[in-house]
Amino acid sequence: MDDMDMMDMEELELLESSYRIYEQEDDNHYLYNPPEDEPELQPEQSPPDLASPSEPQSNSHKRSRSDPNSDLDSDSADVEKREKVRVRAEDPPADEDWLRYSPPPSPVRAEEVRLSKEKTLSRFASEIDGEVMPVTAPNGDRVYTKLDRYYGEDRATKLNSGEFSSDLALEPISVLFERLEEETFAKTLEASSESQSVVDVPETLTLHEKLWVDKYAPKSFTDLLSDEQTNREVLLWLKQWDSTVFGSEIRSTSEDVLSALKRHSSISHSQKPLGSGFPRTKGGHVWSNNRYTNSRSMEGSNNRYTNSRSMEGSDNSMSSQDTHNTMTRHIGAPEQKILLLCGPPGLGKTTLAHVAARHCGYHVVEVNASDDRSSSTIEAKILDVVQMNSVLSDSKPKCLVVDEIDGALGDGKGAVEALLKMISAERKPGAGKQSLDKEQTEKKSSKKGRKIASLSRPVICICNDLYAPALRSLRQVAKVHVFVQPTVSRVVNRLKYICNKEGVKANAIALTALAEYTACDIRSCLNTLQFVSKKKETLNAFDIGSQVVGQKDMSKNVLDIWKELFQRKRTKKMERKSHDRKVSEFDTLYSLVSFRGDSDLILDGIHENILQLNYHDPVMQKTVKCLNSLEVYDLLHQYIMRTQQMPLLVHLPPIAIIVHRTVAQVQKPIIEWPKSYHRYRTTMMEKMDILNNWHNKISPLIARHLSATSFVEDLISPLLHILSPPSIRPVALQLLSDKEKNDLAQLVSTMVSYAITYKKVKSDMLPNTLKYGVKDELTLSLVPSIGNFLNFKDYTSNHYVLSLAMKQVLVHEVEKHKILQANVKTVSLENGGHGAIQAGNNCIPFANTNNNTAIVDKKTIESQANVFARKSNEAKIVSPNLNLTNIVNATDKVKLLDMGNRKKPSRTSSSFFDRFIKSNVKGLQNDDGSLQKETTSEKDRSPLLFKFNEGFTNAVRRPVRMREFLS
Amino acid sequence: MLWVDKYRPKTLDHVMVHSDTAQNLKKLVSEHDCPHLLFYGPSGSGKKTLIMALLRQMFGPGAEKVKVENRAWKVDAGSRSIDLELTTLSSANHIEMTPSDAGFQDRYIVQEIIKEMAKNRPIDTKGKKGFKVLVLNDVDKLSREAQHSLRRTMEKYSAYCRLILCCNSSSRVTEAIRSRCLNVRVNAPSEEQIVDVLQFIGKKEGLQLPSSFAARIAEKSNRNLRRAILSFETCRVQQYPFTDKQTISPMDWEEYVSEIASDIMKEQSPKRLFQVRGKLYELLINCIPPEIILKRLLYELLRKLDAELKHEVCHWAAYYEHRMRLGQKAIFHIEAFVAKFMSVYKSFLIATFG
Repeated sequence: MDDMDMMDMEELELLESSYRIYEQEDDNHYLYNPPEDEPELQPEQSPPDLASPSEPQSNSHKRSRSDPNSDLDSDSADVEKREKVRVRAEDPPADEDWLRYSPPPSPVRAEEVRLSKEKTLSRFASEIDGEVMPVTAPNGDRVYTKLDRYYGEDRATKLNSGEFSSDLALEPISVLFERLEEETFAKTLEASSESQSVVDVPETLTLHEKLWVDKYAPKSFTDLLSDEQTNREVLLWLKQWDSTVFGSEIRSTSEDVLSALKRHSSISHSQKPLGSGFPRTKGGHVWSNNRYTNSRSMEGSNNRYTNSRSMEGSDNSMSSQDTHNTMTRHIGAPEQKILLLCGPPGLGKTTLAHVAARHCGYHVVEVNASDDRSSSTIEAKILDVVQMNSVLSDSKPKCLVVDEIDGALGDGKGAVEALLKMISAERKPGAGKQSLDKEQTEKKSSKKGRKIASLSRPVICICNDLYAPALRSLRQVAKVHVFVQPTVSRVVNRLKYICNKEGVKANAIALTALAEYTACDIRSCLNTLQFVSKKKETLNAFDIGSQVVGQKDMSKNVLDIWKELFQRKRTKKMERKSHDRKVSEFDTLYSLVSFRGDSDLILDGIHENILQLNYHDPVMQKTVKCLNSLEVYDLLHQYIMRTQQMPLLVHLPPIAIIVHRTVAQVQKPIIEWPKSYHRYRTTMMEKMDILNNWHNKISPLIARHLSATSFVEDLISPLLHILSPPSIRPVALQLLSDKEKNDLAQLVSTMVSYAITYKKVKSDMLPNTLKYGVKDELTLSLVPSIGNFLNFKDYTSNHYVLSLAMKQVLVHEVEKHKILQANVKTVSLENGGHGAIQAGNNCIPFANTNNNTAIVDKKTIESQANVFARKSNEAKIVSPNLNLTNIVNATDKVKLLDMGNRKKPSRTSSSFFDRFIKSNVKGLQNDDGSLQKETTSEKDRSPLLFKFNEGFTNAVRRPVRMREFLS
Repeated sequence: MLWVDKYRPKTLDHVMVHSDTAQNLKKLVSEHDCPHLLFYGPSGSGKKTLIMALLRQMFGPGAEKVKVENRAWKVDAGSRSIDLELTTLSSANHIEMTPSDAGFQDRYIVQEIIKEMAKNRPIDTKGKKGFKVLVLNDVDKLSREAQHSLRRTMEKYSAYCRLILCCNSSSRVTEAIRSRCLNVRVNAPSEEQIVDVLQFIGKKEGLQLPSSFAARIAEKSNRNLRRAILSFETCRVQQYPFTDKQTISPMDWEEYVSEIASDIMKEQSPKRLFQVRGKLYELLINCIPPEIILKRLLYELLRKLDAELKHEVCHWAAYYEHRMRLGQKAIFHIEAFVAKFMSVYKSFLIATFG
């Protein structure tokens, strides 16, 4: 029985909340309807008044019969009567006061009945006030029959509903009820004070000051125009906070609402037994399901902490109220702590947030773009909202609504940051589910003492552009709802209702046109309507089309614009008036393109796609025309950018229209996003970078003669040929003839002077080099990869590619050559004097010890010099005035220098590597140059050449034979 | 080392191609009366070589000891300060740079560096004069603002520093600057001169170079000395004892352009134009300047064209190149030229063959 009651309640709640939404009501609903209003009356102790409960009944009854286009008095009457019931139920004392002053109602009443169509809310209220007094007497019939013709109907329905009302003693919607009470109370007071003096005050006086938008803003959840699905999701989300926010106080109501909502969304009834007990286990909300199972598992493992509770939780009996209260508490706050609403302006996002929050019993605190949103202030504010319970007022919990969060720039980003910080503070401790649960319970007990505040109140963020950069991080943690346009018919209904209330004459067609024109932006619809009514004009469809009505700048998707531009509308019979048609076409296209703003993008898109169109063009004249106009665009754009003459930008859209007029086809175009130009830009930049890097690496004596662009123009293709001579053989150097050696030397010196070498590259990266080597084998390719500059699509160059063995020989030779060159350079540097002085200073104490080694070195250097001589062209690198003795001297000095650096001359140390390691360590205080000298001069002494890589001091030390290196 | 670099004349006396210009320059230096200089001429004609030789003539072999520097400047420009970076080559007596690499902020660099040079004016041991030389490459790519700011600084600091400007076309250098400089036109070498140079190199390398083959290389090189020497070396590498019939391997991008040209000649339709666009993008991606592409394309088209049309096509090429230089997106203009050519050519075909 309990269970049954619960279900009833749920249904009723739902009806309460959605009977406006669902215009059609079936009989069941109708039957269940009365109890929802019943509780209103019962607490007020007016049971004898049998007529009163029937009034709301009649309202809904009537509504159910009235079609959307019903006449205005029924609508307005409904509302008025609803108000009336509440008023009467709520303040009999005020009424009593009233009666003393009020003129006898009966004479006035007769007129008023007739006038009821035009009657305002206030007057009704005052009238009721007059009437209610007699009601306190047991006999009520007499009064109602007199007052209004609607009451007759009410009575008829009253009888069947009375039975049901007695059963249900719960308060289903106390929160909602309270709120309504307040509102109506305020209104009544206001109204009564007016009617006190003059009963027939024209209501327009009070109402004209307010914007319609504010005046008719939805006051309750049921009034919302936005998409039901969204509304419900938002409400559901808010309801999930109940357990954390409210604890168990209001749970019964909230549960009811929730389950009623859920039921009505009617996805599955199969879960009914569970559903009544644990309302969130609804199909279609996976997250809530998960949440539920989590909490279940938590309970299972959680016995130690909350023994009694988990006992309750594991008890699956669905009838017990207590059980599901505890369940909800376990479930805790929703997975995503922040709700992000986004959508175009004017659809009612802010309104929804406010209404839903109030509906769920929160006190709404709004932070919008006009407020200070720096990080510090916002954090304080959020803390205030989220953690404190307000002492004054009604001690309602607060709900934070951060409006226009996407507009947050600069300081405004603080809001997002602060929110994220709080969320992450929440997430961190919740690594394990247990601890999360534990913490939540802890938090409840001791809210203070947390280092970083975590969110414990719902936060709703509202934005227009979901993909604003400021929101990027928020988007990942928040629950996102995208608003869609409400259907035109809904908007039109609402508008019609408002028009009727305001006494504006507007026909449905005009309103539909208006709604369509503003893309269902209710705010702009209402503003327009108010404007029109102020001008005492009637709204007709023609006005809306013309510029009389404020038009919203609608920016369309770029793809749609391209489509419009490339697609000609099917010409209708009005071909004769082709001139007019063209004019209007021009206008629409012009506004289309110019409202979008970025003409660049539009024209680039045209350029990208124009050649793919199927237009008839035998001698290419159309193409020429289009491309010429695109050229004009480029010139104009360049001119505007250079001179900053922004006003000239207005001349860009006509170019698009020229193209449209030239090539637009009836058939649907295939549009591609303009990528190729950007791809060209980026790849060109990359290649330019490669070129510039290469250019910088080449010795300045050569590089200064070439600009980076003339590399590609003049140099690369011959260079590639020169670098891969077909005549050269991959054999050991000793086997080459003199001429071949000469060629090789020349090739190597070219490679060195142009800073080119071969490097190992994974072969799959370079499909061209596949010839030499199996797929996954490493191949050698040129670095920098100058061959890439000749990789044109569908083009095969006839460059000869060296064999792998040859490349390896070349790598080796190039390295050797580089070392030699570096050596010669340092030597000549020493000759310059600077080094010699330094060496001289350093090495006097060691001079004796080194004499003999210097003599030995002389020989090696001689042999080295022979090598130089053989490679003829290297002679150029050696400074002309550098003769052999110079070299010897210099190298001697260098040697002395590094002896000095080493402090302890370790001539006897056996291993090569030891020496280097030491010298490297010791030589840290020296600059790199001297390190280089050390190594190179070391090389001079022995016929062996190797390259010393700095930073390899951690290498494994072990004796290695040099021949192993050389093999 | 490539032959291009190896046989580059180091002094004014050794210059082979523009020996008269070299002698004049030498005279200028010897009279200690060196004005600002503006070298202009097509690429591969020897401007830079002349400038380097001139520097050597001025400062002796010290001018060849250069170091590369990546310098950063902090410039105060009214309310804000701008950070600039540029690579410079400098020796004790001169600085060499390409200011147009700095983009639209090039003018700050030019002013800044000239002032800086004025500050540390070198003093000769004899206490005599002393000026530095600033070599600016690609002056034609300098922004108009930079050129304007240059002309005042040129005069103001002329006691401390001389400018040597180098560019391909003097038409993009403002009148004001041109009148402040001694203009040195460096012509593209004639084919005979190129042959002479090639023979000289051949002799130095000990090669047998048949004169007819040298002439062919010279002809193919488009009067670009650098290219001639490079392709000479290429031929040497590919096949040594030279034969008259030996192929001279062409530049790859030029091959590609001629492919495009034959594509255009084969079919004239928007579809084909779309393919051509793809190929043009390929060329542009590989850093080939659009002006050169257009020029080469015209050249290739003219080779295959009926004489009747040549004039008109040249006219249109000039028209579109002009617009390309005014505009920004080169592809638009090259493509428009191709479209125009297709249109002209197709209507011509229809008119002739029906």
